[in-house]
Amino acid sequence: MTREVTVTGYGVRTAFGEGAEALRRGVFAGVPAFRPTTRFDTEPYRTAVAAVAPDGADGADAVEGWALRDALRRCGDEALGMAGLGAGAEAAVLLGVAGDNRSVTRYWRRAGDSVSSELSDVGRGSVVAGRAHAVAPQMSQPRAPVGALPAPESNSLADAVPAQLAELLADGLGLIGTRLAFTNACVASAAAIIHACRLISSGRIDVAVCAGGYLVEEETFGKFDSGRALSRDGMVRPFSADRSGLLLGDGVASVVLESAEHARWRGARPLASVVGWGAATDAHHIAQPHPEGIGLALAARQALRQAGDPDGASLDYVNAHGTGTKYNDGAETRGLRAAFGKRAESIPVSSTKSTTGHLLEAAGVVEFVITMLALLDGVLPPTAGYGSPDPECDLDYVPNAPRPADPRRALTINAAFGGANTALVLERP
Amino acid sequence: MTTTHETALRFSLGILATATAAHDTGRDDDIALPKLPGFVESAFSPLAYEVSSRCLTAHPGDGARTAVALASLAGDTTTADLASRRMVSGRVHNPLLFMQATANSVLGHMSREFGITGQMFSLSTLVDPLSELLSMADVLLDDPELDRVLVLGVELGGGERVTAVHRELAATSGRSGPAAALPASAGLAAAVLLGRPGDAAGPQVSIRSTGSTRASAGRLGSIQSLFELAAAHAEPRTEAEPRTETETHPHAHQ
Repeated sequence: MTREVTVTGYGVRTAFGEGAEALRRGVFAGVPAFRPTTRFDTEPYRTAVAAVAPDGADGADAVEGWALRDALRRCGDEALGMAGLGAGAEAAVLLGVAGDNRSVTRYWRRAGDSVSSELSDVGRGSVVAGRAHAVAPQMSQPRAPVGALPAPESNSLADAVPAQLAELLADGLGLIGTRLAFTNACVASAAAIIHACRLISSGRIDVAVCAGGYLVEEETFGKFDSGRALSRDGMVRPFSADRSGLLLGDGVASVVLESAEHARWRGARPLASVVGWGAATDAHHIAQPHPEGIGLALAARQALRQAGDPDGASLDYVNAHGTGTKYNDGAETRGLRAAFGKRAESIPVSSTKSTTGHLLEAAGVVEFVITMLALLDGVLPPTAGYGSPDPECDLDYVPNAPRPADPRRALTINAAFGGANTALVLERP
Repeated sequence: MTTTHETALRFSLGILATATAAHDTGRDDDIALPKLPGFVESAFSPLAYEVSSRCLTAHPGDGARTAVALASLAGDTTTADLASRRMVSGRVHNPLLFMQATANSVLGHMSREFGITGQMFSLSTLVDPLSELLSMADVLLDDPELDRVLVLGVELGGGERVTAVHRELAATSGRSGPAAALPASAGLAAAVLLGRPGDAAGPQVSIRSTGSTRASAGRLGSIQSLFELAAAHAEPRTEAEPRTETETHPHAHQ
């Protein structure tokens, strides 16, 4: 059995705010959301910038009300409301998330640094020099007394467990069905969508809510900083010769996927169809993409084969992974060429991470929504921050300004640590 | 919190190879932690790689037609906690920990070593992951471009934060925590290489699971049922003694 998979609802929240209008004002206008974050002390790091939601009047970051579980629930409610579904519906909940890392930080802060002497010296000396590393590292917040025990928390510690967030989301939405948390980094929510497509197209289920969430926090920020992955100039410039790295961003989204026949049966209007999906691994390196984009090309070809268009002849837009790192963008360009040959030169390709930042586990589902909006609105979101051409990035990247178009089919691509790649093909009704 | 769901496998799954490994658990079959270049400080990745490599070596196949799914409660909590403790104590982050913090890293290493270009991903499961992994393999093997799915689970001792997480989860979910706390350095891993029955030459058994209730399937963070399944089929068998019967595996019904 192969059934058509449709999208009948979505909810999205980024640093631009809630919903499609916020994306239109930001992503589709090519206005980056990057700003210095006050969410934690950034003094030890090379940059202070991320795409974080402002809190309004005082310009401070919106931390309260942005608990990951709450943001996931809110986007899930929006998606279900748009789809015309509610509590008691039978729907799988498939979530791409790493867990709420802030609970990990909070735990160890409350535990104090009594354990610091136990820490191994692994990597000491190999850590890179940073802007604050020439002096003794500063405590970013006052520490609890040495040896203090962590204060009891109500449910927040367990939010570090991805599966618990999936349970909370499904229970909060009142949905009945499988709950599953995908944790494979920057392809996690795309993997959740692909799994939902497989479940629905094979007739195993009728409806799935696929979600993903990441909110900028210090644990991950510090890790990316230590890996020298963050941009040095406060901008993300995918595919541009002057690109210097990625920046992190807040992102949460949910989409309701549903078999076409189930949507018809209950009178729901499909917004788009998912006509192809693919996933492949590079078999190359733990942290770097294959320089020729082999896994990305494999995933894209799989997705297009399934969409009945192995050459990508019907493809009108590609939402690229486009992190703005030296490693990724050239490899991705070569991967797209490997997948589509000469045809790659005539397909507009853009990276919306240039405005939203890298949303990590949420990238797949937020960019899925952005790609769908491009189809529905007839506007291709630009690659912001594009400066000068890079000889190894030689496709049409929709530089800096949105482009009116009449796209019918679009591909959205994601990639992750370990050489994981995903591809999804969406089609306008 | 209601978490009951049904797991109905569409196909029988052939077991092509299995492996288990335990470190620092106090079990008789504990092994020294295998060395895995680039992965330090935690048992997570070395044990995951150990059981996977044993399965993939015992039953070699086409990496392009192989998928891998890794399940755990919350990934490599040992590395995550080490990185967090360094951060809150004012030490700079260590790039090695950046790399190791996600399970994708060991999957990427495995992908390179065994030429696996099929899909690889990781899952978080609250209780025994066996049913989730079997369901995943069942769905993946719908794909005519795949022949094999390696499923594996890792359970870590974890230390004080993980114990506190277990306590909180147990209090809110009504599930039981670990029967006995493992040392922080301890770890268990199990892997099962699955295929379609009859597709692969050599010995195989089949599983047919018709239902599972997660609430009763195991303790929080435990991979017990997966471990037992792998251990039960770990004995080397000769081609002269193939087991081809379909059985309803009790682990899938707990």
